[in-house]
Amino acid sequence: MRLPAENQEQLRLIAWLRWRLFVNGLRTRRGKADLASKIILGVVIGAMALGIGPLLGVGSWYAIHNAQPYVLPAELWAILVVWLMLPIFVSGFGAESDPGSLLRFPLHYSAFVLLALGHGAFDPVAIAAVYWLLAMLIGIAVASLGAALWAIPALAAFALFNLLLNRVIFAWLSYWLAKRRTREILGLIFLLLIFSVQLVGPLSQRYGKTAMPVLVRFVTIGRFLPPGLGASIIMTGHAGGIAQAAGALGGLAAFAAVLSRVLSIRLRAEYRGENVSEARVEKAAAPTAVRAGFSLAGFSPTVAALFEKDLKYLLRNTMMFFSLAVPFVLVIVMSLNRGAAQGTPTFMRSGSSVFPLSVGYVILVLIGFAYNVFGYDGSGMSVLFAAPVNFRDVLLAKNVLYALLVAAEVSLIGALDWVVVGPVHGAILLLTVLGVVGAILVNLAIGDLISLYFPRKLNFGQMRRQQTSGVSILVSLGTQVVLAALAFGLYLISRLTGNLSWSVFGFLALDLAGFVLYRQVLASVDDIARKRRDALVTELCR
Amino acid sequence: MNNLAIETQNLTRSFGELQAVRGVNLRVEPGQFFGFLGPNGAGKSTTIKMLTGLLEPTAGRIRILGIDLAGEPIAVKSQIGVVPEGLALFDRLTGPEYLNFTGRMYGLDRATAAERAQELLDFMSLADRPKTLIVDYSHGMKKKLAMAAAVIHGPKVLFLDEPFEGVDAIAAGALKAMLNRMIQRGATIFLTSHVLEIVERLCSHVAIISRGELVAQGSIDELRSGVEARHDAGQKASLEQIFLDIVGGERSAAPELSWLE
Repeated sequence: MRLPAENQEQLRLIAWLRWRLFVNGLRTRRGKADLASKIILGVVIGAMALGIGPLLGVGSWYAIHNAQPYVLPAELWAILVVWLMLPIFVSGFGAESDPGSLLRFPLHYSAFVLLALGHGAFDPVAIAAVYWLLAMLIGIAVASLGAALWAIPALAAFALFNLLLNRVIFAWLSYWLAKRRTREILGLIFLLLIFSVQLVGPLSQRYGKTAMPVLVRFVTIGRFLPPGLGASIIMTGHAGGIAQAAGALGGLAAFAAVLSRVLSIRLRAEYRGENVSEARVEKAAAPTAVRAGFSLAGFSPTVAALFEKDLKYLLRNTMMFFSLAVPFVLVIVMSLNRGAAQGTPTFMRSGSSVFPLSVGYVILVLIGFAYNVFGYDGSGMSVLFAAPVNFRDVLLAKNVLYALLVAAEVSLIGALDWVVVGPVHGAILLLTVLGVVGAILVNLAIGDLISLYFPRKLNFGQMRRQQTSGVSILVSLGTQVVLAALAFGLYLISRLTGNLSWSVFGFLALDLAGFVLYRQVLASVDDIARKRRDALVTELCR
Repeated sequence: MNNLAIETQNLTRSFGELQAVRGVNLRVEPGQFFGFLGPNGAGKSTTIKMLTGLLEPTAGRIRILGIDLAGEPIAVKSQIGVVPEGLALFDRLTGPEYLNFTGRMYGLDRATAAERAQELLDFMSLADRPKTLIVDYSHGMKKKLAMAAAVIHGPKVLFLDEPFEGVDAIAAGALKAMLNRMIQRGATIFLTSHVLEIVERLCSHVAIISRGELVAQGSIDELRSGVEARHDAGQKASLEQIFLDIVGGERSAAPELSWLE
């Protein structure tokens, strides 16, 4: 693919553009902080990547020297998984920078393809992976120069295959991520993957022996997949099986050819000017009567309206709503552990132990709801400031929703514990409920203050760049540590003295202190919101 | 003093070293359709944000309908409607839900809020998208919805920041008719717009802000006569000519670009 001179100049200019964007990004404090964190991460990850190279080289040497058939495929599988998965996990299902924005310029298709491939080739993970492949080549060459002659085309074809696969995945991911609904679905899949990892341990303990034959069959099939083919080229070529090695090389080239075809479908569509709209297309519908809003017993109409709005926001935020399911996954994991053979801690074998633990987990999972309450309001924050409402009411509505959520989760988790782990002792139930009331009040009081002083805008259905304020994380975790220590201390006193009433009075005192603190905070939020108006609007409406 | 719809005294706002608005003294009578003009970055949006309680002034005083905004913000906000820059919508609600919510935030009871929301949706031709989230609305639809939300409680003073930008001609016609009806019923409208033809057609009075300072204020006829007197012009000056004359811009012929055929 030879580029005309003007396109070479265009590519140089695009490189210059990226550089200027990077340099100009350093003008802000946030840009500098981002660079600093990237440098720290880069040094740590770079050191790890450098360290892995010699290990792979030695492994490859060992594979050739001792004719070990499984070492090279294992190494190539590991490289493939890292090359593909790490960039996806790092980007966290956020959209990549869009080369489509350059299409307004007279850019040739060949230059556009080079840009798309360049994105993948200059990725730090890709650079590390190529370094690992080179390390493997050196290891193979040390073991046998003849094997190295086969390793050069094999590893080059494997690198090309990985680069193309990476680009295909990102091109299609970007296409799906451009649409809100599919972005949310992909986000959910991402979360499910993370939860699934938690299940690997208990499941393999329970079903490991049964699953082994399936895994062995996969290894056989794996011979015909790119890492297996790459290893086969080297091993069979080294052993003199030229036809077999050439066939494997052809197979690997065929995989790469299929991928380039799939990639070209996407890139051609982008080059033609495909514009995937963020908006969902909804047809006009018959007008329906506007339904009157909620009324909330014991609260003003304003609080009821705000509560209704926040509830609808929660139900429409797939990611946020899904996080409510996390504690149930934990209980299921605990129950699987409980059913597994030895190794399960004694404290996880009864409902009375698991219930307080899972309730603590509920509070931890829902902490984000309490410490950044305006995060999802976005530009709607201006409505709250422009409307004739007190911020006391605004926060009260959010706090009522939070308290109801925790109460509902605790009730459901209690019921699930009861079914899958066992009954909870009455005294533990009472102490846990008293503890939850105190924890809710204290978290609401501190969370309201943190939300006003350290707000962060959050985007719906997006996991990437959802940066909660560092202060918020620190304070929320600190508060949970203090609350957990208090709860444990109170429980211990009763345990040592054999008198339950100590704990009951202790938790009641915590509840009372929490209530007083919460009332104090609620009384002061109007004044704080007025003073923090500029900062809140600037952060949330940007 | 109490009969003024909007009055500011020495209104000032600084961002660090930059004084975005400096000593602005505005006087808007009730029932006026008031245009607030200025070049880009002159301080229009900053002023409107301060007038609507979205931004705290560094110095100065604001009275809306005779009520001090700093002292009684809730009382002032109950009487005004706002379409701010950037529209400020809760975009994960549907149009009917948002109007219902806004009506209740302004103190309407549930039934009235729902009834007015329905009327406004019909008026703005938004009733056929009852299930669509605002985030999926077009820019023009969002603008109409923001306008509907700003008037749902029947405000006495309406603040509009670029209300016609991105709105199609049919909707713009309906909006102008609605705003004129509000004026006839005694409401005051304070709007900013870069489209001077719209301001000239709708507004009776204007103020011009330049580099943070108020450089002119009065009826369009008063400003026109001042400009005509200065230039001894034979024909009636347009608002664009008045604006350029006051802010110091010149409509001289652009120099030729030799390479542009």
